Amino acid sequence: MSEHDRTQLGAYALGALEPAEVAAVDEHLATCAECRAELAELTEMKELLGEVPPEAFLEGPPEGGDLLLQRTLREVREPQAQEPQLLEPQTKPKRRSRWLLIAAAVVVVAGALGGGVVLGRSTAPDSNEPVAGSKQVTTSDTTTGATMAATVEPRAGWSWVRVQVSGLKAGDQCEMVVTDKSGRTWVAGSWLVSDKAAKNGSTFGGGVLTPIDQVRSVEIRTVQGKHVVTATI
Amino acid sequence: MVWAPADPGIVRSVADNPGPHDTEILIRALYAEHGRSLLAYATRLTGDRAAAEDVVQETLLRAWKHADDLTSGSGSVRGWLLTVARNLVTDRARARAVRPTEVADVVDTPPVTGDHSESVVNTMVVMDALDKVSPEHREVLVQLYYRGRSVAEAAKELGVPPGTVKSRSYYALRALRAVMAEKATEVSHE
Repeated sequence: MSEHDRTQLGAYALGALEPAEVAAVDEHLATCAECRAELAELTEMKELLGEVPPEAFLEGPPEGGDLLLQRTLREVREPQAQEPQLLEPQTKPKRRSRWLLIAAAVVVVAGALGGGVVLGRSTAPDSNEPVAGSKQVTTSDTTTGATMAATVEPRAGWSWVRVQVSGLKAGDQCEMVVTDKSGRTWVAGSWLVSDKAAKNGSTFGGGVLTPIDQVRSVEIRTVQGKHVVTATI
Repeated sequence: MVWAPADPGIVRSVADNPGPHDTEILIRALYAEHGRSLLAYATRLTGDRAAAEDVVQETLLRAWKHADDLTSGSGSVRGWLLTVARNLVTDRARARAVRPTEVADVVDTPPVTGDHSESVVNTMVVMDALDKVSPEHREVLVQLYYRGRSVAEAAKELGVPPGTVKSRSYYALRALRAVMAEKATEVSHE
């Protein structure tokens, strides 16, 4: 690409060109400030696209029948249907694009005018505490560098454990081991760390046949037996 | 009153007058139009089909209870639903405080954690912007970005020459920028 051919830049920004084409565009970009500026603008837009999950473009009802629909309808027919609770806002995102600040302002304006999108009520009044009786521990392991947020939720005679672990390597084969106060251990499942999970943190959950007050610790280790991180509940 | 399921106004109508029959129509309509998208998204986030079904059910119940907050236009409704689903997953995972220190350049999907209201804004606004570009432009972005197809694959899928896919993707990103800039202008004029 020795001439300006901006129409290549869109596919380039989206990572859809063949390697040879990429090389040609790179060569041109090295010498053309104008195209570099254009590319920067296109790349900003690509980053915005990341705010929408790919599943947003699937249409229609779920595959495999409407059991879920029937279950949901039963729920709305029950007058005493329990509404699940949302929690307090989570940690602030670190990456902010000025486009999204603009976007936020748009929605605030829309809300103020009473038209279209009204967001406040969709989240605020539902902000509430976690499932009553849950225990939550965040811990880091200085040796392995892994960090984990573990939440143990009470169930009737057993517990549900959810963890979010960062600092794992892609390809790690992990298992979650729960130890109760008598020293008995339970493997609450195992999983493989994907590239994405290695980058963004791995979320995993499993149940153990131990009441929440008997749960002593939650350990993540590799199935090869290497310790990753332990949270004492 | 009877509403056609595809009528986006149904959401608001039910909010105004939530009879049991209307509620069912609303839930059925949302399920038929957005169920697959929601369930696929929740399944990816939870990694667990049963948990994902719970999330979808909770999301639909929430849509019913907050029907007056849903806007007309399927893009925004879907953005709302997906965001609520994501927040429910986040709440379940309670992933607070465990964020990578810096998310490397561009992630393919939004992070699972994040401030609620801001997440709602982001997904909804970008979906709304995507609704405003032409179908040809949206389609090429879906192919190249969201489905990760190459130019050649997208050309085959869309039945147009590769050169068209390239130029369309360029103009699609430009169009998206124009829509976002227009939103920004609207704000500055308020």
